Amino acid sequence: MLQRFLDPAVLQGISSLDLVARTVVDGFVAGLHRSPDFGFSMEFAEYRAYSPGDDLRHVDWNLFARTERCYLKRYRGDTNSQLTVLLDASNSMKYSSGAVSKMDYARYIAASLFYLAIHNQHDPAGLIVFDDEVRNYIRPSTRAGQLYRLLAGLEQAEPAARTDFGKPMQYFQQFLNRRGVVLVISDFYAQPEEIVRAIEPLRFHGSDVVLFHVLDAKEIYPELNGPAILVDLETDEKLEVIPDYVKTAYRAKMDRHLEELRDRTQAAGMSYHLLTTDKPLDRSLTEYLTLRQSQGSLARAGVR
Amino acid sequence: MGFLAPWFLAGLVALGLPVYVHLLRKQTTVPRPVSSLMFFEQGTQSSIRHRRLRYWLLFALRTLLLLLLVLVFAKPFFRHKNVLAADKLLLVAIDDSFSMNAKEGGTTRLEEAKRQAIDVLGHKASGQKAQVIALGGQMRVLTQPVADTRVLRTAVEGITPGDGHGSFGELGRGMRAMAETVHTPMELDLFSDMQESNMPGNFADMVMPGNVSLVLHRIGGGAAPNWTVESVQAPAQLVDTKKARVIAVVAGHGTPASSRNVALVVNGKVAASKKVDVPADGRATVAFDELDVPYGESKCAVRLEAGDAFDADDVENFAVKRADPERVLFVHQASDTRSPLYFGTALGAAAQASFVLQTITPEQATDIDPTKYAFVVLSDVPSVPSVLENVLTRNVEAGGSVLVAEGMSAGHREHIPVFGGSVSDGHFYARGGSGAAYVGAGEMDASHPALKDANGWQGAKFFYASAVDPGKARVAARLADGTPLVLDRQMGEGHVLLFASGFDNVTNDLPLSPVFVAFVDEASRYLAGGERMGGARVVDSYVQLRNPVNATGASKTSVDVVAPDGSRPLSLREAAAAQSFQLARVGFYQVRFANGRDALIAVNADPKESDLRPVADDVLKLWTGAGAGQAETAGTAQDQQQGVSHLWWWIMLLLAITAVAETAVASRYLGTEREAL
Repeated sequence: MLQRFLDPAVLQGISSLDLVARTVVDGFVAGLHRSPDFGFSMEFAEYRAYSPGDDLRHVDWNLFARTERCYLKRYRGDTNSQLTVLLDASNSMKYSSGAVSKMDYARYIAASLFYLAIHNQHDPAGLIVFDDEVRNYIRPSTRAGQLYRLLAGLEQAEPAARTDFGKPMQYFQQFLNRRGVVLVISDFYAQPEEIVRAIEPLRFHGSDVVLFHVLDAKEIYPELNGPAILVDLETDEKLEVIPDYVKTAYRAKMDRHLEELRDRTQAAGMSYHLLTTDKPLDRSLTEYLTLRQSQGSLARAGVR
Repeated sequence: MGFLAPWFLAGLVALGLPVYVHLLRKQTTVPRPVSSLMFFEQGTQSSIRHRRLRYWLLFALRTLLLLLLVLVFAKPFFRHKNVLAADKLLLVAIDDSFSMNAKEGGTTRLEEAKRQAIDVLGHKASGQKAQVIALGGQMRVLTQPVADTRVLRTAVEGITPGDGHGSFGELGRGMRAMAETVHTPMELDLFSDMQESNMPGNFADMVMPGNVSLVLHRIGGGAAPNWTVESVQAPAQLVDTKKARVIAVVAGHGTPASSRNVALVVNGKVAASKKVDVPADGRATVAFDELDVPYGESKCAVRLEAGDAFDADDVENFAVKRADPERVLFVHQASDTRSPLYFGTALGAAAQASFVLQTITPEQATDIDPTKYAFVVLSDVPSVPSVLENVLTRNVEAGGSVLVAEGMSAGHREHIPVFGGSVSDGHFYARGGSGAAYVGAGEMDASHPALKDANGWQGAKFFYASAVDPGKARVAARLADGTPLVLDRQMGEGHVLLFASGFDNVTNDLPLSPVFVAFVDEASRYLAGGERMGGARVVDSYVQLRNPVNATGASKTSVDVVAPDGSRPLSLREAAAAQSFQLARVGFYQVRFANGRDALIAVNADPKESDLRPVADDVLKLWTGAGAGQAETAGTAQDQQQGVSHLWWWIMLLLAITAVAETAVASRYLGTEREAL
């Protein structure tokens, strides 16, 4: 029943971003309980022999009483994974053909992920809002009130200016000194080669980089009944186009763009997900948990 | 092709509006925002070409719409030659008024008019239908629309000289009425002497409808000098021939100063003759101090030896009845000696009255026969025996008359004898606490026969008046405070005249005033009936034969009218039911009314017919609807007339179709734009 609150059109009616995040995550979690593949609770994973320097709080004293050996009790959700969301707040994100704009959709994703990370996983989470400059930076943290700082940062992220991946990404390097999950939410209106070249350095610190490509459905399959003048939201440039072109050449170009972007990001070791604003939000949350789980496995394997 | 309202063509300037909208005004479309143009390419060429196709179609339709709208207001028409004279109804109107009896060159104007009318009918196209109309006091259509020239010619020749007063206003009204049923073009040929006196007071009355073209045929040479006896003042009834006085007014129209012989003719014999000097284009009065007529009705006339071309108006007829003095019964209280004194003195002093007053008290009047009296006066009688009242009421209904004076004694009773109304109150003005002790006379109806001379009434003081409910009676005079003073009620064939005050000098001072003599004289003659029935009338006036109330009632007394030529114009059925009769001819009519009285009525032509001055030419041009120098005259009537076809109806139809097409195209175009947005 709560699944319906994953629908962005329904979320549009909720004004508070906090409430949106709670609604999405609670609805998502309710759906997960029926799935055997994922779990995020503090469930038991394994015992490990105590070694000097380990935190005594994790020693299983009951086992020590029975066996007189020190073992540490490990849980699956035990590891901390830093979540950093890079949110594109350029003018092109304002576009909307229906009830939800791309910016709103991006906000819902980010808010839901922050809530899931901080409230449920106790992971530090941070936010970087950018267009052609870095407009806002909230350092990843688990401190009390971090969730609300992040949500406030999302609320203040109004679309403006143009997109330029190069300059902000260089700036991000100095902040990303800890391994974690980096989510880039954008409509990626740039050349795929340029995008990958700008984002690829983010994973040099060992972070998992995920590209959430947010597009409106009408951007992939636009409809035009007659000649029209189109204006670019970022450059204000105007262009007169005809329906025939939109039906054929435009769609071919867009498909090629999406395919190339996906191929290049995957080739660079990054994940790529195309999200349209008319689809539910669970896909993004699922992706995050998958990554979170894989990071937990790496931690258990002693990678960290 | 032409335009009835060419000034509306200035509306063609409005064609600039679609030109501005479609050509000069920059086409604006709302840009559609997109995230990025990186995947779009310019596609303008095919787009603009596609839009221009619909653009020009819409522009053409809108331009056509405005053009048609302007044309509709400009009322376009085109002339065509296909309307032949045969399709046009020819109306031949001949003026047979009294003035057409004037002679010129040995023939009368009417004969000349008939000759010219027959000439026009002879030249009409074969197969063309025509009607003959006679225009006298009334417009009379003599034939149906027929093409047979013989029928039309016979109708024209059958027109006899009339005695009526022509009116072009009557012709205009008749033609407008005819145009409501006849929608084909009509040509009206009017043969008339175009007398100026025939013009109506309002020029609009004589304007012809749109489908009538007027062609005027002036008959006669214009304003010929003419002398006439304009009026005669003589008593309709006399007793003493020595006292009778006849005054005639002789007038000259366009005449030089000259002396004319005027003769007084009684029953065909010249009784007296006088010479009178008539000034140039002026009037002179001649008086005959004796009118020696035998007992009974006499046909009298004043004849002028004019010696002009128009001799029909040289005689003015009047009828005189000589009889012994008629008795008037004056019923009064025994104590009231003033009323009979004043009333009798006034009756005796009246110049033209020929009555003898007989005074009695109500008690003495129980067995009198009112038919033996000209009329009965009930002067402030407190109580009238019911026998007397019944007798008087029956007498009035049969044609008799009663004069009732309601003095102060009337305040003691509610019912007014014979009159039938009631006295609701008595106004004692002398007892008023404030203000004047009397009231004067107020509104006077000078058209009432008993109040012709109403000037002296204003000085009279009324100290008492009975408040009488008028009911159905005619209020002929009121006091200044609105109280009815003189009321006239018709009962059956007779009249009851009510004076709401007394004939003494106590209730008012009217008996002391000279106007009282005139009032008594006129009221007596009115009540006696001689003035109402006999006397002189004008041609085309009506004489009332019977009371309209009794026309459909039980009274079926037959009336009888003998025309001047000895014929009886009324059929038996008309004689039994006709309420009035129109006196159409000059001469003496012998009339027997429904109340059994006989009267000799003299009828004269309208004096305005004697003025032969014609209407000014510019007025006639204005009447025919032609401009200066373009007046249609006889002989210019073309055998082949130009017809006019109006095109506005077809343009309206085309306009409607264009409007629908424009709506469809505009809806399609604008609808596509909305979808694109």
